[in-house]
Amino acid sequence: MTPNYLKIGIGELNMAVLEGAIVYSNLLVLLGIGLIITYITTGVPNFAQGSMAIFGSYISLSLWLTFGINPYFSLPISFLFGGTLGILIYLIFLKPLIRKEAKVVTLMIATLAIDIIFLGILGAYAETLRTIVRKSTKKFIFTPLDFDFFQFDGILIISSLIIVTIFITLFYLLHRTKFGIAMRASMENPSLAEIMGINVEYTRIFSWFLSGSFAALAGSLLPFRQEIVPLTGTVIIVSIFAASIVGGLGSIYGALAGGYIIGISESAITFYLSGFFGPGILVYGKVISLTILVTTLILAPKGIVGLKIWRNKIWPWIT
Amino acid sequence: MAVDYLILNIIIWFSIYLIIALSLNIEYGYAGIPNFGRAMAVLIGAIAVGGIVNRVLLHILSIDGEIIQSTGILKSTVNSMISQNPLLGIGILVFSLVVAGLIGALAGGLFIIPSVKLRNDYLAITLLAISEVLYLISNYNRSIIGGYYGVNTPDILAWVPGEHRLFGFAILGLILALLVYLFTERLLTSPFGRLLKAMRENEDVVKSFGRDPFKLKVKTVAIGSGVAAMAGAFYSLLSSNVIASTFFRVEWTFFPFLMILLGGSGNNKGVVLGVLSFVVAKVLLIVYKFEIKDILNLPFEATWLEYILFGSIMLLILYYKPHGLLEEKPIFTPALKELKKKNQKI
Repeated sequence: MTPNYLKIGIGELNMAVLEGAIVYSNLLVLLGIGLIITYITTGVPNFAQGSMAIFGSYISLSLWLTFGINPYFSLPISFLFGGTLGILIYLIFLKPLIRKEAKVVTLMIATLAIDIIFLGILGAYAETLRTIVRKSTKKFIFTPLDFDFFQFDGILIISSLIIVTIFITLFYLLHRTKFGIAMRASMENPSLAEIMGINVEYTRIFSWFLSGSFAALAGSLLPFRQEIVPLTGTVIIVSIFAASIVGGLGSIYGALAGGYIIGISESAITFYLSGFFGPGILVYGKVISLTILVTTLILAPKGIVGLKIWRNKIWPWIT
Repeated sequence: MAVDYLILNIIIWFSIYLIIALSLNIEYGYAGIPNFGRAMAVLIGAIAVGGIVNRVLLHILSIDGEIIQSTGILKSTVNSMISQNPLLGIGILVFSLVVAGLIGALAGGLFIIPSVKLRNDYLAITLLAISEVLYLISNYNRSIIGGYYGVNTPDILAWVPGEHRLFGFAILGLILALLVYLFTERLLTSPFGRLLKAMRENEDVVKSFGRDPFKLKVKTVAIGSGVAAMAGAFYSLLSSNVIASTFFRVEWTFFPFLMILLGGSGNNKGVVLGVLSFVVAKVLLIVYKFEIKDILNLPFEATWLEYILFGSIMLLILYYKPHGLLEEKPIFTPALKELKKKNQKI
């Protein structure tokens, strides 16, 4: 019953585990950026971020089962579809509430409701798809579809490339273009930005587009690492929140640090601990994320980007 | 028979959900604390029955073995004892409720501490995360409440003939719900309730009057969680087994929020109305689930439709009726009433 990778001793440097941890961290970074970017512009933590990702998984699954498109090639479709979904969430559900000057708690309950609706849609869709294609759709994994690239799994290369590309693009966009500077201005002080003639609404819509598309990307890649069921979104939301809070909800660069801290500790550290305590401890990966989350809240509630050393030493050096 | 079954089900679910909704109303409706981890308190109530009361009984009757198998033996032994002596059943119920209330309150108060000083959004995130993690652990770890195999619990109404069992639980549930209603009504019409409302509106006001919002919030969540845990304990005794996967956050966090927002948060009568309308809809959906599936020719389970439906209703309420069916009214204390009379005379 024990999977092969659990039989490896403690001392051996286990590349497979490390690779898995890096892939998982990359995906958490993607999901974290999405959560943080909408948090900054709209002021609401999106409880539906996990289910938005699983939407991406199901888009890839459907394209694979019906047209035989490899999930890697359907990434652009997933990206666009997820982005559209993000915009729709904002325009249909959240914007009317924000217009009525709803409180943050109301908006949070609204995203919780959106999450439940998504859960229902995903479950219903998975079962409908199953009756059409007659294959397992309520539990699936893409690892057999992955390719090898010089001993490395394809997912490691692809997910890392995506993270690098996204961060270079975002950095260029936010710091070197006019639209990006306008966007940063409206993130930091919406009313002042509006006075300066910036349309804050555009930046909000754009941020929801990015959030949705990043979530869908992560969701399309996640089945290469773990099994997906319609409820997976409700499980990974803990890690997404942990990653974004540890990094700091105030800046998208926090997601990079937070995603890696949570991703590595959740998979790699739990794996090494399992050498001492037996494989039973593996299910406690989420407990580790939660512990890190709670510790962060007590010691540095603003996360890593809120630390003095980040603001005074590291950040000036990057820009 | 079918109608009886329907009505009894509505009464039982009404009682369970009323207790949980009232507990959430103390926290969210009155104190403004968005406890997105309500499911955790309910699960703790179930753990109190399946994990603690069960172990106490196992110890007393000196039955050995793993919890999953031994509770099966325990159930049949205790059931035959209860059928001889009905008081034992009631004793187990009361003991379970007390244990659940105590550890529920303890856990609730403890888990809110890390985020209580932060803003509401952080609070909601942390409580949801803690609740999800506890759900995962009790689902995977078989030594707490048997993981996905679950554990058996004694049938506290073993002396009642099988066909009247639901009726017995409906009565017990109503009594319990009534007690909780009276308790919350008493608690919230007291100065404490007004203090909570003041904190919801403006924390600085509370501070300036020399009360500590930190202590107040911990206390409120402890009370709320204790009450919700009792509902979890009652539910476990009713179903006479405990399976962790039934304590999913949609049923035990989202639905209670839906009920109090539907009825009107911050006022207990509204909550009763909200719970009643929700439960009638839900029980009808559960009972006629296969008929609905056939009539609409759905290629999927009706549960998913239920999620979509209730999620959409929530969004509609938030937009069109944010104060619910019965709006919260300002409190008229005796002193205020007197003042009003005086003003009218002038």
